[in-house]
Amino acid sequence: MRQFLSLFWLSFLSLVFFSPSAASAADYHEQLVLRPLPQSALLASFNFRSNTTVSEFEKGNFRFFPRSLGQILQHAGTRELHLRFGLGRWDAESWGARPWDGAREGGTGVELWAWLEADTDEEADRKWLTLTNALSGLFCASLNFIDGTRTTRPVMSFQPEGDHATVSNLHLLYGVLPHEVVCTENLTPFLKLLPCKGKVGIATLLDGHKLFDASWQSMAIDIRPVCPADGECVLQIEQTIDMVLDIERSKRPRGNPIPRPPPGHELPCDTSKPYHSHDTCFPADHTANQDWSLSQIFGKPMKGTCPLTDPTVPPVCIHVPDTRSVFVSEGVRENKSASGASRCFEIPPSADFDMVLPRPSESDPAANQTPDSAIVPPETPLLYAERSFTGHGQERGGVQTILRNPSPDAAVEFIYMESLPWFMRIYLHTMEARVVAGAGGSAHARARPDESSSLIQQVFYRPAVDRARGTQLEVRMRVPPAATVFLTYDFEKSILRYTEYPPDANRGFDVAAAVITILDPDHPGPRSDQGSPAAGAGTSSSSSRGSGGGRRFAAYTLRTTTLLCSLPTPDFSMPYNVIIFTSTAIALAFGGVFNILVRRFVAADEGPEAGLAVLVGRLKGRLLRGAGQAVKGKS
Amino acid sequence: MTIQQPLDKGAAAADLQNSAAVAAPAATTSNGLPLPARKEPPPEKPSDVRRRSYIILSFWLIVLCLGLPIWWKTTTIYRADLPLQEMLDWADGKACRPVFPLRISIQANALQEQEAQNLLRLTQHALDDLNDFSGHHLRLQLAPPAASENRDHDHDSVLTIRLLPGETTTASFDPHAPVLDITYPPNTLPSPTSSSSSLATYVAGQLRSTFAEEQATISYLLSTNSIPSEHRPQGLSPDVADSLSKRTTRSLKYAPTYHLTFSLFTSGPLPSSWDIEDAIHQYMKPVLDVLSPIHNFTIDTQVQLYATPGVQNQVLNKEDLSSFINAAEWPLSPSIGGAPTINFVVFAGNQTIAVPPTQDSADSSGTAPAPHSWLIPQWGTVYLLSLPSDTAHLSSEALKQPLLTFTSHLLSLTGMPQSGSLPLRLSTLARIRSADLLLRASSTLGSLARLALALPSISIPSSVADGVSKTMAHLRLACETLGRPEGLAHARVAEAEAERAFFEKSMVGQLYFPDEHKIAVYLPLLGPVAVPLVMGLLNELKAWRKRRREAAEVAQGKKKE
Repeated sequence: MRQFLSLFWLSFLSLVFFSPSAASAADYHEQLVLRPLPQSALLASFNFRSNTTVSEFEKGNFRFFPRSLGQILQHAGTRELHLRFGLGRWDAESWGARPWDGAREGGTGVELWAWLEADTDEEADRKWLTLTNALSGLFCASLNFIDGTRTTRPVMSFQPEGDHATVSNLHLLYGVLPHEVVCTENLTPFLKLLPCKGKVGIATLLDGHKLFDASWQSMAIDIRPVCPADGECVLQIEQTIDMVLDIERSKRPRGNPIPRPPPGHELPCDTSKPYHSHDTCFPADHTANQDWSLSQIFGKPMKGTCPLTDPTVPPVCIHVPDTRSVFVSEGVRENKSASGASRCFEIPPSADFDMVLPRPSESDPAANQTPDSAIVPPETPLLYAERSFTGHGQERGGVQTILRNPSPDAAVEFIYMESLPWFMRIYLHTMEARVVAGAGGSAHARARPDESSSLIQQVFYRPAVDRARGTQLEVRMRVPPAATVFLTYDFEKSILRYTEYPPDANRGFDVAAAVITILDPDHPGPRSDQGSPAAGAGTSSSSSRGSGGGRRFAAYTLRTTTLLCSLPTPDFSMPYNVIIFTSTAIALAFGGVFNILVRRFVAADEGPEAGLAVLVGRLKGRLLRGAGQAVKGKS
Repeated sequence: MTIQQPLDKGAAAADLQNSAAVAAPAATTSNGLPLPARKEPPPEKPSDVRRRSYIILSFWLIVLCLGLPIWWKTTTIYRADLPLQEMLDWADGKACRPVFPLRISIQANALQEQEAQNLLRLTQHALDDLNDFSGHHLRLQLAPPAASENRDHDHDSVLTIRLLPGETTTASFDPHAPVLDITYPPNTLPSPTSSSSSLATYVAGQLRSTFAEEQATISYLLSTNSIPSEHRPQGLSPDVADSLSKRTTRSLKYAPTYHLTFSLFTSGPLPSSWDIEDAIHQYMKPVLDVLSPIHNFTIDTQVQLYATPGVQNQVLNKEDLSSFINAAEWPLSPSIGGAPTINFVVFAGNQTIAVPPTQDSADSSGTAPAPHSWLIPQWGTVYLLSLPSDTAHLSSEALKQPLLTFTSHLLSLTGMPQSGSLPLRLSTLARIRSADLLLRASSTLGSLARLALALPSISIPSSVADGVSKTMAHLRLACETLGRPEGLAHARVAEAEAERAFFEKSMVGQLYFPDEHKIAVYLPLLGPVAVPLVMGLLNELKAWRKRRREAAEVAQGKKKE
């Protein structure tokens, strides 16, 4: 009873305290969505969003919007910015569709694209340089290495998410650093941008050790202007962290981090198998016994909630079937959604929050029907993509991308974008798309030519210029239902100059991930290519993403993995070898010619005697003479 | 001349006979055993010998006349011509003698022309007696009475003295213009014949005390730079010098634009909003407007919750103040762009300062003693604001005291002198700043000259020479117009150019080409090529000397015969 009363008081007080700033409370919210995935994985999506009105932003009054970032945007004339830090590979085969429909993730490394306000291309390049240098300092990343060779201006793949009054003077620039290793030093500045600084709220769960230990993780910062139909335009910053944790791995205590095989009696075995006995074990499905608690997975419980956050948005949600029970800390209210597949928690502002998801009990009828019913089955993505190198040798190579449409009845139309380094010179005439009907891949029949030609609908290609810019290739394609398409092209590897090789050149050169933007069939965005991309986009707001701001023409975005291209690497002591070799050759030739010119040639018996015998004789003579003198001196 | 020699005589005997040097020296052994006789090559034709000499000579000529110059040309580092001596002169203060002729006009409408002239002469005399610093000279002039009717202040002069008849002798500054009102009882007027007057002495004393601080500051600036001692003022007492040095270290380097950042840090979740814009407009804007002829200001504000200070003590000691700012966590990064940032931090927490306000904090905050705030030299100010724990919003009234403190600290951070009326302080600030910039640019030039002298292998691109010549041109102009507004502008350009020349990027790259690399590159080629060349030359010289000796011997033998 007393607890109840104190709780009542707490909520009452919080109501009283926050009422003065209730009007501005909606300017910030944060939410953590947990989603158990098959194979003992757990997707945790952190989302932080804050708004500032454009007028306050221009006056330089920062409250929820971080000042350090705001200054950079003002200085570089940036109207919309997207920054991604990515690590690992999303296993689409078992984890299904990507979070946020892939809109909040980047390829491995760092990706940055922004719309800059500039009158000319040169001015845009200058501002881009300022922007990358400033962001590089802010996020402790090598973003300043995004130079002309790594910058492209995509034509079809990206469209602004925000509401821009004019788009004619906006320049889209896209840069990617696939080699960048994302690490803790990038997380710290990321957390500093949050209004509650990772001291309270869901951000307390973010810890570099756990985040960068994840199987896949992506940090995203999106800044865009949003103009609601009624009211002032706001500048919105959305910070997102998605990570897929391996539950077994995360539960390992910090003091004992080395994985060891569990003893035999602890192995989870499928006892239903006929051959199961004390010495045979068929491993049971991981998901069947997924049990964890928040503090186990993240190493600590969550500390209260950020007081600035919008009270109508529950801070923590979890996607598990309603049949499973979830235990939470005291004072937490649970709201189950109507769909029966998710529930959210309202958390008192100043109490630790923990959550335990126990193993489904044996008596639970739902859990016993199928092992997968313990979790919400993941959605099937619209497209599977894999990219790899083909060919061999140091001179030529090929790239093959396998695109598979799992849907039995709907074709998928998408834009495939590659930004390749200049030292991969692609042969565009070798680009070929061939379709293999059926997802199984057993029917390896080459498709009919007319079908094959209809796969590639449009190609935008900007060839590379050596040492000045990279290749940009955008292909609009269409994959028929239940078909697999192989997109291949060949390339030639060029030989770099001695100083252009990075340290550890034998590791190879990272090639950025290909970006695949699946077009929304209801909203054909850039079909009218060079026109205004945002025209007619105002009405469609993707409610599926759950974020109010922004709209998009893309239904789904995915990225392939990065590739490692090995170029012929020289021996790096080469310059000195060359110097010494040529010097020796020159010296030999010179010495020979010079001696021939200068020496006098006589017959062998005319010249002074030479050879080893003469030398030995002379030495002997000198020794003997010395001995004889010594003897003489004594006598 | 004998070619064959007795075999048993050995090598020693052969040496005695010069003519036998060609004969095989190895033909005998020390034990005297005879070896089979060797044939001698036929004598060389003199043309062959000559040709060999020509070959060797031409090789050496090519090496010396073609190789060396090409090598020299391709490996020298470009060093633009710098007027080194002139630059050092600037740094030593020999090129410019900073002189501030200040004109002060006197308006005495109530006086006769004659009387006024007399008073002026006496006052000037008294001033000259008081002044001991030749660089800073006050010159009085009489304002034309007609002009003084419609305008209060003449823009050529730094100060206008209005003499008004009154009951007693008083002096007061006009708060809005550089005008000093002096009232005087009629009996203090000097008679035309008298050589001294109490009014003149009084006026001179007032002027002297008004400009004392400026004089002290400028003379301090000159003394810290290497200005020859004859230009220096004499009596700069150690404690004045001490307080001046504190003040100069506290103030920021001059910049045309300063960026002001107002930050609210709170230790907990509240307060999370403030009326900073109103408060700045109300309490700080007037001063910023006054400073606008010298500096521009850009402003931004931020609110940061859950800020942990660097020191967690409840009561802060003097030592804690320096580490209070938590540089690792607080986002106080300087603004991007060229302008230096001044930080004003309001920290809402319950910490207090233990030390009573020391001399420093008392004189740095002119308006109020500062138990809540302290100034961090060249960085900004921290103000501790203790609030009831449930304050969610800071109104502009609550921010009044912090902002007034910030304003006064801003003045001392910009290096504003502390006495006198505001307009007068401003013009003084402009003069101090131009002197400061002038000296700084000169000393940068000196450093560049010394650098160029000290590192013979450093390259000096032409842009540096360009910057140096621009700097010197502007320095010269600034030196001529010191004390006037153009002086500040020229000094500003000179300083910027000097810095740009000194920090030229391409100068640094060449510096680190180590000598080992040169050896590694040159030795493999030059070693093997040089050996035959040198040996050839040595052999030829030996042969030439032998030929001469032989020729001499032959001549001698002929003579004997």
